[in-house]
Amino acid sequence: MNKKLSLTPYMFITPAMLVIGVFVLFPIVAVVYYSFTDYDIITKPVWVGLQNYQYLLHDDVFWQALKNSFIYLLATPIVIVLSIILAIMVNRKLPGINLFRGLYYIPAISGSIAVGIIWRWLFDAQGGLLNGVLIWVGLIKEPVQWLAEPGFTLPIAMLLTIWMGVGYYMMVFLAGLQNISEELYDAAQIDGCNSFQKHLHVSLPGLRPQIVVVTVISSLAAIEVYNEIFVLFGQLGGIMNSGVTMVFLLWREAFRLQHAGRAAAVAMVLLVITLAFSIFNLRLLERGSEAE
Amino acid sequence: MRTKLFSLMILASMILAACAPAAVQPTAAPVLPTSAPVVQTVVVQQTQIVKEQVVVTPTPGPNPEAVIPGVEPNAEISLWTFYLSPWFDDYIKSTITRFEQTYPGVKVNWEDHQATFLQDYRNAMAAGTAPDVANLSDTEGWVREFAAKGLLLSMTDNLPKEVIDSYYPGLFNLQLVGGKSYQVPWYQAVAIELINKQVYDKTELKVSDFPKNYDELPALCATIKQKTGTLCDIRLTVTDLLRDMAYQGGVKVMSDDGKSFTFDSPEAVTWLQMYVDMVKKGLVDRTALVTTDDRVGLELFTSGHAAFYQTGPQLIRDVRANNPGLYGYLDIAMLPVGKSGATAPTSMAMSVKADTKFPKASLALAVFFTNAQSQLEFSKLATIFPSTPASYADPFFASTPVAIEEMVRPMAKDLISVQADIMPEIPQPADVNEIVLQAVQSALFNNVPAQQALTDAVQKANALLQ
Repeated sequence: MNKKLSLTPYMFITPAMLVIGVFVLFPIVAVVYYSFTDYDIITKPVWVGLQNYQYLLHDDVFWQALKNSFIYLLATPIVIVLSIILAIMVNRKLPGINLFRGLYYIPAISGSIAVGIIWRWLFDAQGGLLNGVLIWVGLIKEPVQWLAEPGFTLPIAMLLTIWMGVGYYMMVFLAGLQNISEELYDAAQIDGCNSFQKHLHVSLPGLRPQIVVVTVISSLAAIEVYNEIFVLFGQLGGIMNSGVTMVFLLWREAFRLQHAGRAAAVAMVLLVITLAFSIFNLRLLERGSEAE
Repeated sequence: MRTKLFSLMILASMILAACAPAAVQPTAAPVLPTSAPVVQTVVVQQTQIVKEQVVVTPTPGPNPEAVIPGVEPNAEISLWTFYLSPWFDDYIKSTITRFEQTYPGVKVNWEDHQATFLQDYRNAMAAGTAPDVANLSDTEGWVREFAAKGLLLSMTDNLPKEVIDSYYPGLFNLQLVGGKSYQVPWYQAVAIELINKQVYDKTELKVSDFPKNYDELPALCATIKQKTGTLCDIRLTVTDLLRDMAYQGGVKVMSDDGKSFTFDSPEAVTWLQMYVDMVKKGLVDRTALVTTDDRVGLELFTSGHAAFYQTGPQLIRDVRANNPGLYGYLDIAMLPVGKSGATAPTSMAMSVKADTKFPKASLALAVFFTNAQSQLEFSKLATIFPSTPASYADPFFASTPVAIEEMVRPMAKDLISVQADIMPEIPQPADVNEIVLQAVQSALFNNVPAQQALTDAVQKANALLQ
């Protein structure tokens, strides 16, 4: 009887453990193994020890990708601030406000390929909307080749990330705002707070759990960015590798240059970075909970 | 009764024997009988004489399309094509039907793969599920990639000489690995310069005076920018820059012994400097210049913002579909010739995987799709050109073109017959190209002198050979 009882919990977790084992644990172990091999996906991997890691240490593109990924993190605070402002703006009982909420959310549910094509058209050198407007208002005389200027590569991609993310995170913050008691705002008003001060002293502390969650999600998304770079700048990732991020480098090594072993080494570095980020963010979350 | 039964059994066994699959005789004509049925008398020995009338179809003559002997009976083989569905579904299906009639008992399972073809094929090779026959691109270097790893069947070793001779030699010998061909050439695209007369005419130049060699392009682009304010829509082959160097600049990219790279010669520097100057003067669309995606340049041309674009006439259908207003203003010019004097082939191929269970059936399918008859029929449906000289004997190729995309047709045979692969076999081509790409970009966009960029690249590429 006792034996039967002791098996029951294992039976419940077995299906989940199988799925996690096959789709999470096994791939992680495989990536660790491949990172020590010379592997081109087609033929059998050959053990090369630390060679792939040594290669990365001496590879300029790897360091550029690492730098670009960290620069991309700048998108995180921007997207959070904009999302909170937008959430506060749409958190009103105005006629047609749901329409605005819906409109802001559209980029989040639009396909990245379609969005990329539209954005390429916006920044196109010849016939692009941005150049057209700038020439029309007289700010520039000749079209700027936005998508072929290394200095613009990351800012344009980050702008796209922000544009696509703001609506999604706005919804998270909107839900948080609607959970804050009206009485707190009334009390703040009685204490003499103006609108800005009410949001500073009531809304922001009330949104702390959402801010932590969004920070974790968006910073991990930023460090793992790939789609935006690919759809805007194609397989090269921008002129002179100006848009190559860690995940883009991983793709490039595995599928364009057929060095899956090196790609696995990049993945391992990325794993360490994302783990560090996640632990840091979780600690932050725990501290916040303790403070509350 | 017993005698009748015995006679019937003999007859039945004869009929069964006649109906059994002809295991290695791929000579049955596909369809129609050529004369009236013959009445024959069958005499059964050791019994009483029985007269039976049996309808016998005359033995068909050899099928000219059944050129591979010893095809495995009841073979079931798979075929992958690249970007042909749904436009050419009927053609592919009818060709497969004709093949299955030519080689009775062989069954073909067809799939079309598109943007992810190469990745799908690599993954399938890794998983051991690759198709027996695949439509690979010579131009993109796919054949050499897989052949160099020993994954494809040698056509040089496995095809009868008369089959090999049915293709233009320059096309059969594309992408050689170890001196052997691992593909049979399929359809060809003749690259042309597609011209938008709405823009081009503003330069007051005649289309007939379009540059005959690459050296004249910078002057043309300067005129276009000055007179129209638009940029030249020129694309480097960033996936194989050494190819551009060799064909356009006449650059010898490797030493004769294949032990060192030589693409930092004065010819190579001159070639790169031409593009550097065009970029510095702001004459070219830089996005189009260094994209891996042909569609970027084509879309720019289709939008009506470019005076000309180098492409295949088969893609005029895209221009017509996406900007019908531009179609009426299109004209074509022949490609400028590079210093090599050779024209690079734009060739699709059929290859067979090395570990196929049915090598003969697979070879038969690859050859069948690329034979003169199949390619002629395909040419009538799309603006592509056969790799088989015999196809051009058809009056279709002598007929007067009507549409702009057909203008190349009367010249196609002459153009294709002289196409040849002048590229040596490059070891680790993806890595070498990446080194060259970084060098070219640093010269184009980062003010590194062309000579220095190329010399550094040669050193790095040579290090790969150690």
